[in-house]
Amino acid sequence: MAGSMHLSRLRRWFLASPPIEFAITNFKELLVGALRQGPIPQHVAFVMDGNRRFARSHGIETVEGHNLGFEALARILEVCYKSGVKVVTIYAFSIENFKRSKFEVDALMEMAKVKLSQMAQHGDLLDRYGAKVRVLGRLDLLKPDVLAAVNKAVDLTSRNGDRVLNICFPYTSRDEITTAIRETVEEYSAPLHPARPAGATARTPFSESHIAHNIRAQTLGTKPQEANSDSESTSAELSTQEDESGARNDRSHRIYESGSSFSSSTTLHLGGQPDGQSAKGSSPENVSDAENPVFISPETISRQILSDHMLTKGNPPLDMLVRTSGVERLSDFMLWQCHENTEIVFLDVMWPEFDLWHFLPVLLGWQRRIAKSRQNPDAEGNFAGDSPESSEEDADMVLRQTGKVKGV
Amino acid sequence: MVSQRDREILRDEIHSRGAKLSATDRETLLKPYLPDPSDLSSSKRSPTSQRRPKTRKTPIRTFLKSQLHHLTYALTHIIFGVIVRLLQAYHAVVERVFAIVYHHHRTPELIRKDVRGLKRVPQHLSIILNLRTEDDALTVLMDEVAELAAWSACAGIPQLSVYEKTGVLKSCIPALHQIITTKLASYYGSPSQQPSLQLFAPHHPVHGTAPDPQFDSPSLTLLLLSSTDGRETLVDLTKTLTEMSQNGKLSPADITPELVDAEVSEITSQPLQSDSGSGYCTIGPEPDLLLVFGPFLKLDGYPPWQLRLTEMYCTGDRSHALTGYGEAVEYQGFMRGLWHYAGAQMRFGR
Repeated sequence: MAGSMHLSRLRRWFLASPPIEFAITNFKELLVGALRQGPIPQHVAFVMDGNRRFARSHGIETVEGHNLGFEALARILEVCYKSGVKVVTIYAFSIENFKRSKFEVDALMEMAKVKLSQMAQHGDLLDRYGAKVRVLGRLDLLKPDVLAAVNKAVDLTSRNGDRVLNICFPYTSRDEITTAIRETVEEYSAPLHPARPAGATARTPFSESHIAHNIRAQTLGTKPQEANSDSESTSAELSTQEDESGARNDRSHRIYESGSSFSSSTTLHLGGQPDGQSAKGSSPENVSDAENPVFISPETISRQILSDHMLTKGNPPLDMLVRTSGVERLSDFMLWQCHENTEIVFLDVMWPEFDLWHFLPVLLGWQRRIAKSRQNPDAEGNFAGDSPESSEEDADMVLRQTGKVKGV
Repeated sequence: MVSQRDREILRDEIHSRGAKLSATDRETLLKPYLPDPSDLSSSKRSPTSQRRPKTRKTPIRTFLKSQLHHLTYALTHIIFGVIVRLLQAYHAVVERVFAIVYHHHRTPELIRKDVRGLKRVPQHLSIILNLRTEDDALTVLMDEVAELAAWSACAGIPQLSVYEKTGVLKSCIPALHQIITTKLASYYGSPSQQPSLQLFAPHHPVHGTAPDPQFDSPSLTLLLLSSTDGRETLVDLTKTLTEMSQNGKLSPADITPELVDAEVSEITSQPLQSDSGSGYCTIGPEPDLLLVFGPFLKLDGYPPWQLRLTEMYCTGDRSHALTGYGEAVEYQGFMRGLWHYAGAQMRFGR
C-alpha cells in the first residue's frame, strides 16, 4: 500500500485482491471514524516535500513523482476531511520554485491546470460534496490560462460547505506578510471621506461624531439614542434629527462654538459641499477634509488587523503543520500563522508515500496532549490555557480606545 | 482507500493528460467513494424534514457504529499510550547513557572534541527556553542561558540568540552578563583565556567588551529575544510605514519584502549604538539552527520573519514529540541538535 514501485509482484497482488482490499479499506474507515471521537485539529497545513527525491530514488521521472504526490494528497485530504479537519492548507508551489527547470515548472503548471479544470467539470458533484477551494499567493505570476482555470475553480466552489482547501500556489510567507503590511498601509493611507462607507472607521468602537451627538442630545434634553458604534448610521440618525429640530440645533451650536474644537456649526457650513450626499453630515472628520486629509491613526493597527490581512483570514488558527521528507525547516511557509501555538511535525517519509499510517501517530499524539491539557490546564504543552489571545485583545481594546482619528 | 483497479485507470488517465475519460466517466468512477448524499445533507444543512427519515432508517446501525467508533478510539489510545510509555522509558535510558558518555566536565577541550567531526556547525544558533513556574525560575533560567553560552563558545558557535517568551531576561542584562562571565570562568579558567562576551537585546544597548582585534580570541555574541520581537515588531513597522505613507513620504508600492527584511533584520541584528564604541557588534538575522528544549516543536511566538530557512530541532522530538522528557536544558540535547544539524541535507527552496 505504500505505493512503492519495488513492491514484489506477489505482495501487490495480495494487497490488491478484493477481500484484503476490502478489509484494509474498512479498517481505515474504522480508524478515521474513531479519530472523530476525540479532539481534532481545525486547521492543518502540509508541505508536500519529497516528490522529486522519491522519483529519483525510485528511478522514475520527476513529473511522475509529482503525479504520485497528487495521489497522496487526495488520500490525505480524504483522511483529514473525514476525521473532521475544517481547513487544510497545502504548499503546492513556492515563488522560489520558478527557479527550477522550465520543463518541470511547465509540467507542474499543466498538472494544476488539468486538475483544476477537471474539477470545474463536476460542478454539481462539487456543490454537494466539495470543499471550498481557495488559491493563496501571487496569482499575478501565473500564466493567463492557468489563472483562468484557478479563477474558475475558485468561483465554482465558493458557495460550498464549511470545509476549506487552501492551495498556496505561487506563495512565500514573506511575500504574504509584506502584502499584508502593504495593504494595511494602503487602507490606512486612504483619507477618510464622508461618502465612504464606514468600514474603516468602524474599527474604533467609539466615534467622535457619536459622542458629540450624545452630548448634544443631552444638552437638548432629548433621550440619547441607542448606542451605536457605526458612524454612518449615526450620521443618518443625526441628520434626521437635525431635520426635525433645526431651530433647536442652532441654540446648541452656539453653545458648542464657545468650547469645542470641532464645533457643530462648522459642520453645518459644509452643507454647501458639492457632493451633497452628506449635506448635513455631522461627522467632525468632514471638517478638514477638503484641505488636509484626515486619516485613521496608525496607532490603531494591531496584530489582529495584520492577521486579518493575511491570506488565511477567516480560517481557524493553524493547529498543526506537517512537513514530509525529513527536511526540518519551514522554507517560507506559514511563518505568520505557525509561530505561536502550532505544533510543527517533521516526518521522515517522502510525500508520495505519505498515508494514514504516518499521519495517525501524529494525530493520536495531538489528541493525547489536548486531552491531557484539558484535564490539567497547568501542564506543559498546554494549547488552550496559555494562549496570548486574551491579553492581546485587552491591549487592542486599550489601543483602540486611545487611538483617535488623527488629522495630519 | 481507492482500489487498485480504479487507481490504475486514474493513472492511465493522468498519462493521457485528461483526454481519456470524459467528465461522466470520471463521475461514475468516483461514485462508490462518495458518501451517501442523504447522510451528508442531513449532517450539513440539517433541515428537520431530511433528518427525520434518516434517523428512522437505521437507528440501531448508527448507534452501533458510533459505539464501535468510541470503542476503537479508546482502544487505539490505550495501545498508543502503552507504546508511548515504552518509548519514553527506552529514550529515558538512552538519554541517561548519553548523559554519562557525553559529559562536558566543564572542559572546553572535550566540547571541542565532540564537535570536531561535524561537517558544519551553525554560525548562528537560536534556542527557545521556557520560564518555569517555580519560585527560583529566573535563577534557573539565567543559569541555563549561562550554560548554553559556555557550550556555544566552546563549540565555536559565534552567535547565540535566546528566546524567552515573557522577556524577563531583558530586564536583567547586567546581572545575566555577570552570571555568564562567572560560568565562562569556570569553564576556561583565567580571564585572559575567556572568549569575549557581548550581550544585547533589541532596542537595548550592548553590554560587554568588544573582541580585541589584535588577539584572535574566540568571541560570543548573545542576543535576547522575547515575544514582543515577533508580531509586535511587524505591527510597529506597519505603524511607522503607515505614518510615512499618510504624510506622503512613502508610496505603498515601495513596500517590498526586501524593505521589510532590511528593517526587521536591523532590529534583531544590531544593538543600539552604545557610548563605549563597540559599533561592529552585529549578529546574523536568520538563525541557522533553532533548538527547542521542550517535549514537542512549538514556536511559542518566536519572531516569524527570521525563521524562513532555519533548521529546527526539538530535543524531545523523537517518537513524534510525545514523550514528556526533554524539557531540561542538558548538554547531550544540545549536542544532539548540533549533530542533527550537521547531518541535514542543505537545499534551498526545496
